[in-house]
Amino acid sequence: MPGLAELVTQILNGFVLGLLYAIIALGFMLILGTMEVINFSHGLLFAWGGYLALTLQPYVGWWGALGLAPVGVGLLGLLMEFGVRRTYGRDPLFGLLFTFGAALALEELIRIFWGSRGYTITAPAFVAGPFRLGFLYYSKYRLLVVVLAILLLAFVWWFLEKTPYGAIIKAGAHDSEMVMALGINIGLMRNLVFGLGTAMAGIAGVVASPMWSLKPTVGAEALMPAFIIVVIGGIGSFWGAVAGGLLVGMASGLSNLVIPRGSILVMYLLMMVVLLWRPRGLMGQKSILEL
Amino acid sequence: MLGMFALFLFLPALMPFLGGYTYLGTEIMIWAIFALGYNLLLGYTGLPAFGHGAFFGMASYYLAISQRDWTSGLWIPLLVGIVGTTICGAVVALFVARKRGIYFSLLTIAFGVMFWFLVFVFEPWTGGEDGVTGISRLSVGLPGLFEISLRDNLAFYYFVYAFFVVATILLWRIVNSPFGQVIQAIKQSETRARALGYNTVRYKWAVFTVSCAFAGLAGGLYVLARFGAFHEPMSLHQSGNVVLMCLIGGGFASFYGPVLGVAVFLMLRDLFSTLTDHWMLLYGLLFMGIILFMPEGILGLIKRIRQPAAFHDTQAAEAARTEQTVTSAPSNPKPGGSS
Amino acid sequence: MSVSEATSPILETRGLRKAFGGHVVLEDVNLRFEPARLSAIIGPNGAGKTTCFNLLNGFLAPDRGRILFRGRDITPLAPEERARLGMCRSFQILNLFNDYTVLENVRVAVPAMRQRGSNLWTPAGAISEAEDKAARIIRLIGLAGREHVEAKYLSYGQRRLLEIGVTLAGEPEVLLLDEPTSGLGMRPMETLRDLVKRLSEDLTIVVIEHDMDFVLALSHHIAVLHRGMVIAEGPPEAIQNNAEVREAYLGRLKYARATQ
Repeated sequence: MPGLAELVTQILNGFVLGLLYAIIALGFMLILGTMEVINFSHGLLFAWGGYLALTLQPYVGWWGALGLAPVGVGLLGLLMEFGVRRTYGRDPLFGLLFTFGAALALEELIRIFWGSRGYTITAPAFVAGPFRLGFLYYSKYRLLVVVLAILLLAFVWWFLEKTPYGAIIKAGAHDSEMVMALGINIGLMRNLVFGLGTAMAGIAGVVASPMWSLKPTVGAEALMPAFIIVVIGGIGSFWGAVAGGLLVGMASGLSNLVIPRGSILVMYLLMMVVLLWRPRGLMGQKSILEL
Repeated sequence: MLGMFALFLFLPALMPFLGGYTYLGTEIMIWAIFALGYNLLLGYTGLPAFGHGAFFGMASYYLAISQRDWTSGLWIPLLVGIVGTTICGAVVALFVARKRGIYFSLLTIAFGVMFWFLVFVFEPWTGGEDGVTGISRLSVGLPGLFEISLRDNLAFYYFVYAFFVVATILLWRIVNSPFGQVIQAIKQSETRARALGYNTVRYKWAVFTVSCAFAGLAGGLYVLARFGAFHEPMSLHQSGNVVLMCLIGGGFASFYGPVLGVAVFLMLRDLFSTLTDHWMLLYGLLFMGIILFMPEGILGLIKRIRQPAAFHDTQAAEAARTEQTVTSAPSNPKPGGSS
Repeated sequence: MSVSEATSPILETRGLRKAFGGHVVLEDVNLRFEPARLSAIIGPNGAGKTTCFNLLNGFLAPDRGRILFRGRDITPLAPEERARLGMCRSFQILNLFNDYTVLENVRVAVPAMRQRGSNLWTPAGAISEAEDKAARIIRLIGLAGREHVEAKYLSYGQRRLLEIGVTLAGEPEVLLLDEPTSGLGMRPMETLRDLVKRLSEDLTIVVIEHDMDFVLALSHHIAVLHRGMVIAEGPPEAIQNNAEVREAYLGRLKYARATQ
C-alpha cells in the first residue's frame, strides 16, 4: 500500500504530465482542427524544442532558451507549412504522409546535428532541488512547470477566445471559404496557425527535457499520447484537449502506482470507453471529419 | 499477372544480375502480400488506415508465441497468426468503420500505437525489446513422402512464392467481384452508395477485416523469414512505410501498384543505406517529394500519360483532351490493365 | 376536381419539422403521394424542397413528424434501408461514381448486383442478370454506345441522364427526382420528358422542379412549398390559378407563359 507521500507525489506528477500533454495535444489539435492535417512531426518538433534549448542555453541562459527555442521550432513549422499546403483539398492522407516524411527527416537531422546519444538535462539552478510542501518534498522544477504551463494555456485560451485572431482561426476551421470572402488572407492564417501549433510543441519540449531525458526518439513518446488525447477530448475543443491531456496524464501517473507499465494500457482503455460512450470525444464538435 | 508470376518465379536466377539477393526477393513478396491486401483498404475503398503495421506485427507474435509455447510446427502457428490478426482486425474495424477521412486515420493510428505499446506491456510473453527469437522454419511436406527444409533461403523463397501467387489471385478475384465493385463505389461516393441500398458501414468493416487477414499472412511469413518476431514492424514507422509503398507504385491507379512500390521501396532502402548512415534523411525527403510531386505513383503517372489513347469514345476523348486538367490523385482505382 | 382519396398513399409525411440551429426549414409538412402518379414539389429557392427529400430519403432525421411508406413508419430507417424497400432518389448536385464507366455506374445500382454484395469471388462482369439489366437501363436513358466511357468524361446532359439511370436501376417503386432537368439542353430534356412520362405510368414519381413547363405538362399533382410550409396542393390547373402561389413565385418562373 503506497504511503500518502508517495500517493500525492504521483498525483502531482500526473498533474504535471497532464499539463504537458495538454499543451502538446492543444498544438496538435490546432493544426488538425484548422487544416485537417495530422501533423506527424509534432513529436519531433517537441524534441527539436528540447535540443535547440540545449544548444542555446549556454549563450542565453535558461529563460532565453525558453523564449527562443520555441520560436525556432515555430519557424520550422512555418517552413513546413509551405510544403503541407500543397496537400490541402486533396485526400487528407497526403498531408499526413507529408508530415510523416518530415518527421523522418527531422529525426535524422537531430542525429546529424546532435548525435544519437541521450542527454540528461538538469533543471536550471534557481529551481534545483526539492520544495517543502508540508510533509512532502516535491521538485521545485516541476512546480515551475505547472506555473508556466498554466500561464501558457491561459494565454492560448485568451488568444483563441478573446482576440479577433482567435476568432478568425476558429471561423477558418469551420468555413474557410467564408473567411476568404471576408478578405482575410487564409494562406497567411494557416501558416501562422501551423507555426503556433508547432511552437507549442517546442515549448513543451524545452520544459520537459529535464524531466524526460533528451534523445532522438523522445518525439514518439510525446506524440503518441497526443493521438489518444485528441480522440478522447474531441477535435475542435480547447477544453477537450486540456481535459483529455489531464485525464491521460493523471491516469498515467496513478496507474504507475499499481502497474508500472499499465499506465499505457489505462490510456487505451480510457480511449475505448470514451469512443463507445461518446464517439466524437468528450467535447468534440461535429465536423466533416467523420460520418 | 502471369507475367508477374513468371518474373518472380525466375527471380532468384536473375537476382545476381540485378545486384540483389534471394532474401530480398522473399522480402518483396512478403511485403507485397501485405501491401496488396492493404491497398484494398487504401486504394480501392479510399480509407486511409494508418496503423496497419500493427496487424502485420501482431501476426508475427501470434505465430512465434504459439510455436514456442503451444505446438511446434509450421502450419498451425501460421494459421493462428492469420486468424488472430483477423479477429483483432474485426474488432478494431467495429470502432473505425463508421468514420472516414482524417478521423478514420486518427483512430487507426491510435489503435496501431496501442497494439505497439501492448507488445511492451506483455513483455513476459513477447520479450519486449528483444522480441521472440529462435523460431524455426521447419520443413514442409507430406509426412513419410518427402520433406523440404525451409532453412535454405531458396527453398523458403519458393515457399513464400506459393503464398504470393495464391494471395494475388485471391485479391484479384476480390477486387473484380461484386464486393469489389461496391467498395470502389464507396470510395467514389459513399453517400450515393448508401442511396443505392448498400450498408456502407458493414462493407467498410468487411474490407478492413479482409485486409487484416492478408496482413496476418504476411506477418506470419515474415517471422519465419527472420526467425523471430520483433516489435519494429508494429511501429507507426512501418505503417507509414506500407502506405508509401502503395503510393509509390501507384496503388490508387492500379492493382499492381503496391507490388511495384514494394520492390522500389526495398531496393531504394538497400541503396540508401549503402550510401550513407543517415539514409533516413533521404527517406524522409523522398517521402515528402513523392507526396508533393508524384502522388499518383509510378503506374499512375504512366496511366495518365497514356490515357487519351485508352478511350473507346472519340467524342469523349476529344472533350477529355481539351478539358483535361491535371487531376490530382487519387485517380482511377481500377484494376490495372495488362497481365 | 381533387385527386381521389380512395387509394391510400404509397408515401406520406405527417407533421414533418426540421430546423438547423435556430433556422426552421420545414414546418408541419403533410404530404401524400398517390401510387403510379407523378407528383411535383415546387417552390422558390430555399423553400425547403431538397431538405424534404433528404428527410424522405433518410439522410436527415426530422425533429418532429413521421414518414410512412406503404403505411409503415420508416422514420427511423437509414437511407440504405429505405432504398432497399423500393424508394430511390436522384441528386440535385450530381452524385455519380466519376471514375466508373456508364456501365459500372448503372450496374452497381442494380439489385442483382446488390444482392451479391458479399460475393468476393465471382467476377462482377459475369453476372448476366446485372449486365442485362444495366444494358436495358442504359438504352432507356439514351446512353447506348457510351457504356465504357467514364462518367467524368460525359457531357453535362449525359451525366444528368446517367444520374437518373442509376436511380432507376435500383428498381424502385417510388422515384424521387431532385431537379432532374436542371441545366439540361434541348435534346436531353426531350429524352428526359419522354422517359419520365413513360415511367409515371408504372412508378410513383416525386419530382422537385423549377421548370414549370415540365411540371405542368407531366404532373398529376403539385405541392407548393414556401418558407418551409405547404401553401397549396392539388392538380396543375388548381395550382396555376392559386393566388398565393402566384404571389410566392412572383417574377421567379416562366409563369406567364404557363398560364396562356
